[in-house]
Amino acid sequence: MTVLVSRRDLMTGAGALAAAGLVTGTAEARVLPKDMVPLIGPGYRAVDQDEKGLWQLMERVEEEVAGSNLLVQDPALTAYLRDLIGNVGGPAARDMRIYLARIPEFNAVMFPTGFSVVFTGLLLRMRNEAQLAGVIAHESAHFLRKHQLRQWRDTKRKTDVFSFLAMGAGVAGGAAGVYAGDLVRLAQFGTILSLLKYNRTLEAEADAMGVRLLAEAGYDPMAMSETWEQLIGELDLSAKYRRKRRDRDFSLFSTHPAPESRMADLKLSAAEVRHAGRQYEAHRDRYLAKLAAIRPTLLDDQVKLNDPGASQYVVETLAKDGWNGLLRFHEGEIWRLRNRRDDHVRAAQGYAAATLYADAPADAWRWHGIMLMKQGRRSEANAAFARYLRMAPNAPDAPFVRQMMVS
Amino acid sequence: MRRLGIALVAGLALGGCVQTRQYADVEFTPPQGDYKLLVMRPDVSVGSVTTGGMVEPRADWTETARAKLLTALKAQQAGRGGNVMVLEKRDGIAGVSAEQVAELERLHYAVGSSIALHRYSGAYLPTKRRKGLDWTLGGDAVALGQRTGYDYALFLHAEDSFASDGRVALQVLGIAGCLVGFCAPTMGGAGQFAYASLVDLRTGKVVWFNVLSAESQVAGIKMGDIRTDAGAAQMVERLLDRMKPGREVRRRQKAAQ
Repeated sequence: MTVLVSRRDLMTGAGALAAAGLVTGTAEARVLPKDMVPLIGPGYRAVDQDEKGLWQLMERVEEEVAGSNLLVQDPALTAYLRDLIGNVGGPAARDMRIYLARIPEFNAVMFPTGFSVVFTGLLLRMRNEAQLAGVIAHESAHFLRKHQLRQWRDTKRKTDVFSFLAMGAGVAGGAAGVYAGDLVRLAQFGTILSLLKYNRTLEAEADAMGVRLLAEAGYDPMAMSETWEQLIGELDLSAKYRRKRRDRDFSLFSTHPAPESRMADLKLSAAEVRHAGRQYEAHRDRYLAKLAAIRPTLLDDQVKLNDPGASQYVVETLAKDGWNGLLRFHEGEIWRLRNRRDDHVRAAQGYAAATLYADAPADAWRWHGIMLMKQGRRSEANAAFARYLRMAPNAPDAPFVRQMMVS
Repeated sequence: MRRLGIALVAGLALGGCVQTRQYADVEFTPPQGDYKLLVMRPDVSVGSVTTGGMVEPRADWTETARAKLLTALKAQQAGRGGNVMVLEKRDGIAGVSAEQVAELERLHYAVGSSIALHRYSGAYLPTKRRKGLDWTLGGDAVALGQRTGYDYALFLHAEDSFASDGRVALQVLGIAGCLVGFCAPTMGGAGQFAYASLVDLRTGKVVWFNVLSAESQVAGIKMGDIRTDAGAAQMVERLLDRMKPGREVRRRQKAAQ
């Protein structure tokens, strides 16, 4: 949610907040992992009337999600995600459901009835299992702490109070012959501010509890702050390439806490939940093995967004654990798709570098050949094409490539 | 006191309006006699309007309303001679998988949204001018008809909401304010919204579409209540009982007279 206001509005708004008495506190203290106890047990069902209404609605939503053709149909991978949520889901581990949607975005969502949707863009960005488990633990915490219900009740209470205050102010003003419109507008502003505040508190709770669940399951709890570090870096680089600045208005008007302060809190919390002498794992090898089959698709989806800053950051982040042919190939693809002046040089470099690795995909050889041909290096190009045809003899463009080799 | 009286009268005059607006294929004849109608799982939701004006869904009210609406619908259709089957679950019909039903529902959602946009929301299309209702679900709907032997499919959506006590109290305050010159007699927020869409399973075309809105301008005044037998029957009557034939059919009927 973005709200545009001038600084002056902000200051008058703050005055109205105090006047309306809607703010509960100003200092943003860190939520401690030890305070984060689950509010629900195993087999939890909706209890109160408003919750039952919410659940009924969400059951339909889940039916749609479960039958969506955006879901990745990969039984091994979905079983893997189910195991992860079973590991870090606390008392509701067996009740929660998890769906993998093919959306190239850094995101995951938890619904109030305990089903979660993980986006493929998240899987692509995570460097190890601990990082992914951290995000899933954070989402699980939303369910375990009944966040959506608490948010709904908070919103309801505040809009109720505001309605009465506004109507009361109008009536009082009318009786006294004073126009109360401005005051009402400011009180409304105060309501919006305190709504966002509540949301940030809940996110901070989910972070603190997520860290705790992660450590309890034996994962390195520091993984969560690494995830945030990556998100900040990606947003910055994406904005830089688009010659814009990353939206820094995280302070008052964001539903989520500022990534920087969030990262700092996560580090403190992670240190707190670690026990001396216990081993905490990242499980990088297992993660890579589970994702091996789908990774080319994930990279391809990201690169085709044509957000070169973000894509380059993702590729470079993954390359911190070592470059390979697949990453180099996609590096080339990023620049070929951007297609500004001299980008083709960078693209050619990417393809050429990719072919130095044993795991270079067939397409890397194809594009390497095309780039060589453009440079007039025909015999080298033909060698690359020959390699492409050996790797992908049934490619749709195979006859075309053969034609290029002889003409 | 006089000022309040005027305000209340004005408020009540605005107090509610029940509106329906239907469109039909130019060659549409309302189903009569021995026809088979498949009612796709009705999308019903009933909620309470909070003081602040948000609609809070109520599971128990929704269940009651769904059951009452279906009873009323069956009774109404039986009166026209139709054989009705209500698809309560997506896998509730032999020969068609839940997935196929889901896909048809989603397709209808897209087509229905298009009808809403281009027929009701003002974004009129020059290519659809004077063509009545010119939308189709295509081969998938025909396939459903062939596999199940049904002549028509009906898609139904119904919402109803009621002002909470807090909302009514707020409304009372708003009307009382008229005495001192701060008048808010019409807050609204509660009311009904429903639409029905009839698909001919022999051609796949959406042959008839109707939208009903019954909104209350004054919180606390109901424009119907689909949680009751009478209210459910009233909604079915408002929505489905006044099907008009298509334009060409009406023209021929007129010429024949």
